Amino acid sequence: MGLLKHALGLTALLISARTQATDWELSLDMRAVSSNGRESFLDNGQGKLRFDEDHQGIRLGRLRAALDQPLGEVLSAHIEASAWDDDDKNPIDLTEAYLEYRPYPRAGFRSRMRLGAFYPPMSLENRAIGWETPYTITPSAISSWIGEEIRTIGIEGQVDWLGTRLGHSFDLQLTAAIFGWNDPAGTMLATHGFALHDRQTTLFGRVGAPQPDPEFAKKELFHEIDDRPGYYVGAQARYLDRAVLNLLHYDNRADPTAQSREIRDFAWLTKFDAAALRIETGNGWTAILQALVGDTYIAPGSFWLEWEFDSRSLLLAKRMGAHMVSARYDEFNVLFRDDPALPGSEDGHAWALAYTFDPGTQWRFALEWLQVDSTVPQRVVQLGETAFASETKVEISARYSLAGSF
Amino acid sequence: MSILPFLRLRCTSAAIAVSLACTLAQADPLSVTALQRDGKPLAGAVVTVEAESPGQAAPHPEHATMDQVDLAFVPDVLVVPVHSTVQFPNSDAISHQVYSFSSARRFQLPLYRGKPYPPVTFDQPGIITLGCNIHDNMLAYIVVTTANWFGRTDSHGKWTMPHLPAGRFRVRLWHPLLNESADIERLVEGGSEGSLEIRLSRNLRPAPLTGRPHSWDY
Repeated sequence: MGLLKHALGLTALLISARTQATDWELSLDMRAVSSNGRESFLDNGQGKLRFDEDHQGIRLGRLRAALDQPLGEVLSAHIEASAWDDDDKNPIDLTEAYLEYRPYPRAGFRSRMRLGAFYPPMSLENRAIGWETPYTITPSAISSWIGEEIRTIGIEGQVDWLGTRLGHSFDLQLTAAIFGWNDPAGTMLATHGFALHDRQTTLFGRVGAPQPDPEFAKKELFHEIDDRPGYYVGAQARYLDRAVLNLLHYDNRADPTAQSREIRDFAWLTKFDAAALRIETGNGWTAILQALVGDTYIAPGSFWLEWEFDSRSLLLAKRMGAHMVSARYDEFNVLFRDDPALPGSEDGHAWALAYTFDPGTQWRFALEWLQVDSTVPQRVVQLGETAFASETKVEISARYSLAGSF
Repeated sequence: MSILPFLRLRCTSAAIAVSLACTLAQADPLSVTALQRDGKPLAGAVVTVEAESPGQAAPHPEHATMDQVDLAFVPDVLVVPVHSTVQFPNSDAISHQVYSFSSARRFQLPLYRGKPYPPVTFDQPGIITLGCNIHDNMLAYIVVTTANWFGRTDSHGKWTMPHLPAGRFRVRLWHPLLNESADIERLVEGGSEGSLEIRLSRNLRPAPLTGRPHSWDY
């Protein structure tokens, strides 16, 4: 996390020398939950939901604070902090913190650069502030996994061709990034597979509660173990504001033989390709298609262990003014290559139906029904449960937001 | 929104001040109707009428305003005579950063709220595309014209010039969503009452989406 600490230090220094107002946002998202979920992955179980049978009732969805500080004309700093109340390591922690350099477009082109910790430009679903989805409470299995395990801690450059500003119907964007401190990415897929949740792992935190066994991995995702930087490259094409196609290739270039004593985990060599397509119509319909395929490896001793993973989702939403109704189908698979019958493999699918009411004021309300059906052999071995589980959750969200500047 | 009163006023004041063309010449109205390919009216199209021969007074430069309200430029299209100035206030609570890299006028207004900058002068005719470097969905156009008369079509696709003097005139039509292969131009003869119907040969491009909550980051 050295680079991040330096970036934060630099940010603090620049903010202290600020000449322009700081924009702030604050929001409180409270939930009412009814769930029959198995013991959640956040509590080291094999349940797919954030709120399991033991975590029903009134819950904190998210307490979020964000700062946006212009630093001169084309440089700005962004900081996102959240509290989730899920047995986290830190009661409040950062999800993103970065500097953004955004010079003026010239002759139809614009470059952008981000330095710090942030999400790769991948989810077309999580388009709302705070990396949330406006369509449902719970994002797709793919976005849930990105929020759980993936963060760019490094530097990213983008070049946009602003065709729509030149009289064309298309815009194009190319992205490339070099990052570190994401070597454990993949460890949670091998431990509990995909899950469907709105949790974002914090930069200095871990996934859920501590492990009961002190020998087990600490579930901390943002560490550099092998001193090998990773990279991703991506491309995006937009047709006016109606359609977006996003492609990304990610490779954390981890050395799968490397281990960290500090977090008791391996460097997981994780590579994936992701594609997403979002289409919006003039009468309020939205369709989002997402696909992810990849694999992750570790090499303890003389072993070479490989897990393949893939997921797809299709979301359809209809917006009628402040009201929106959404339906989403997800399917997901993890295959432990050595023996598919052994723990580590899984397959499942999920249905989500949601209604949101966003009148454009400080309040937003959402109601979601989510069912996840999954077959996870690990449940038999680790917990003595049946491998198959059908978990259902109904959740109401009431979010109050404030924003201003000082 | 009808712009006819505005145009009548323009013609009258121009006549008094400069040429008397509107009141003295044998002038009759010119009515331009813009239709989409399917025959539906094309509202908001920019119509310019320019004399082919000299003698008609050029319009006076204006002091116009392009506001920013609710993360959108208002109006979406502004038509001004060449040498006009345009003020770019930001009425939103959040900052915007306005730019144009169009060849007719390149400029940028560093991150601001309120009205901190002097107006921008537009000395060359052409279409200037405006953007906000922070909010990529903000898009608007300034049409800077040397035409003697201009306006935008109403909800019926219609724009009427009360007094077109005798002579030969070039009528041009432009709209941000046009998808035509060539510029739309027609020649008309003034001096007698005329109507001109312009029908597009291709469908318009889809209009920008509206009404999405601002909490969506796009």
